[in-house]
Amino acid sequence: MNPLELTLGIMTAVGGFVDISELVFAAKAGSMFGYALIWVFVLGTIGMSVFGEMSGRVAAIARQPVFSLMRHRLGLKLGLITLAGSLISTLITCAAEVGGMALILNYLTGLPYALLAIASVVALMASMWILPFQWIERTYGLLGLMMIVFALALVAIHPPWAMVASGMIPQVPRGLSPKELLTFSYFVVAILSAVLFPYESYFYSSGGIEEGWGPKDLLTNRVTCTVGFGLGSLLAISILAASAQLFGPINVSPEIPGSSALEAAIPFGRGGLLLALLGMLFAVAGAAVETCMSNAYAVAQFFGWEWGRHVKPWDAPRFTLAWIAVMLLALLIVLTGVDVMSLVEYAALFSIIVLPLTYLPLMLLANDRSYMREHANKWLAKGLGWLFFVIVTVAAIAAIPLYLLTSGGQG
Amino acid sequence: MSAFDHLKIVSQLLDLPIVDRDERSCGVVDDVELSGAAGKETRIEALLVGPGAYEGRMPAWMYWLVRKIAGDRIARVPADQVIEIGSVVKVKSGAEKLGLHLVENKVRAWIPRKGAL
Repeated sequence: MNPLELTLGIMTAVGGFVDISELVFAAKAGSMFGYALIWVFVLGTIGMSVFGEMSGRVAAIARQPVFSLMRHRLGLKLGLITLAGSLISTLITCAAEVGGMALILNYLTGLPYALLAIASVVALMASMWILPFQWIERTYGLLGLMMIVFALALVAIHPPWAMVASGMIPQVPRGLSPKELLTFSYFVVAILSAVLFPYESYFYSSGGIEEGWGPKDLLTNRVTCTVGFGLGSLLAISILAASAQLFGPINVSPEIPGSSALEAAIPFGRGGLLLALLGMLFAVAGAAVETCMSNAYAVAQFFGWEWGRHVKPWDAPRFTLAWIAVMLLALLIVLTGVDVMSLVEYAALFSIIVLPLTYLPLMLLANDRSYMREHANKWLAKGLGWLFFVIVTVAAIAAIPLYLLTSGGQG
Repeated sequence: MSAFDHLKIVSQLLDLPIVDRDERSCGVVDDVELSGAAGKETRIEALLVGPGAYEGRMPAWMYWLVRKIAGDRIARVPADQVIEIGSVVKVKSGAEKLGLHLVENKVRAWIPRKGAL
């Protein structure tokens, strides 16, 4: 294990952890329910570490990305249905990220939103065309590290640390009305979905294959998934906790991504605001690239095309065409004028519904000793895997009723 | 080996990715062509690759949709081309020789060959 590679991998995971949905749901959750939803981020991050580690291990040992094994395990019919669901949910997520980029650039420059959305997509596509996989992953991940300003801001505003820590224990706040209880439940499902977005494991496992992982990389995989995702999650928790401290008591509901940036502006002034907006911009841009490439990975792996950005774009032509099409479709959605916040909510809703179908085949393959040999799931990975499978299945069943009953978390 | 073991081989083979001698992805086992008759030994004659092979594997409306989007071409990979079946199926020839990269090569012509590191 190369320590430099490992450090870079961890830093990339930290910087790439937060996306537009986490930004939005963390800030709203903090202002509405104080510290009471921190545990959902903790739970979701453990789940993400479990499934991320599993998908990385499968990539390293069976050399199989998620969508190839999903088709083999689920069969063509159910596989196609899952593929269609994943493509739709990830496309909506990609559009939400592109819209988020345009919004943040709009705060920074004051230029028209539509023009900035087009400029964002051109810049993203240029970076995906020019840079090979590892550079794409690291550039956005490392620039996203500017988000650390949120953790520093939380320290600077001196939150009640005992209450922040108590938020990590699963709880339902006392004295909620039935309506508030439903809204709280909606946020539990939405945050779980935002942390466990299926595209993250497609991207992570495909990335493992792009980088040519083998058995020697298992430790790197494990450390990146636990330490990297864990530290990344602390950034999202910082946004929630700062929102609880700053916005909750004065009844401010952060309805737009820019509100989160104020959390850094309050203690650090103009410099903090700029750093927060730039951090958000690169984190969201990284997520836009990940979602776009995840959809191209999914289609290419499902149909057995040449794929990957470790090769030149013309050496995986249908894959290249697929990511170009996804990015243009995402732009088209944004240019219809649909509200970014609505896209974020639809993305979380659709993603949680397809999540169980994505994770089941992954878990079955990671359990299979004929493929995984001595690296098959042991009791802890099996137990946690099934536990989180049950959790995401329950969340998937509850998602649509909760969305309708709470008008998308509006109460 | 019982008949069920043979059936298991077919179920384990279906939907596996195929890689050619140069480790290039060149499709998925979409169906298999069997030979034999009642009371006789059943053998796998070839792997069938391409959207045309989906016909017997999905409802008619779904296949109609697939055909409209992706066409109905089928490439036939003779069973003697298969050298290994594991998490992927490895074949001993190149994808072009087996007719598995027709679309890939067609699309390749549309992609400009410049600017990428």
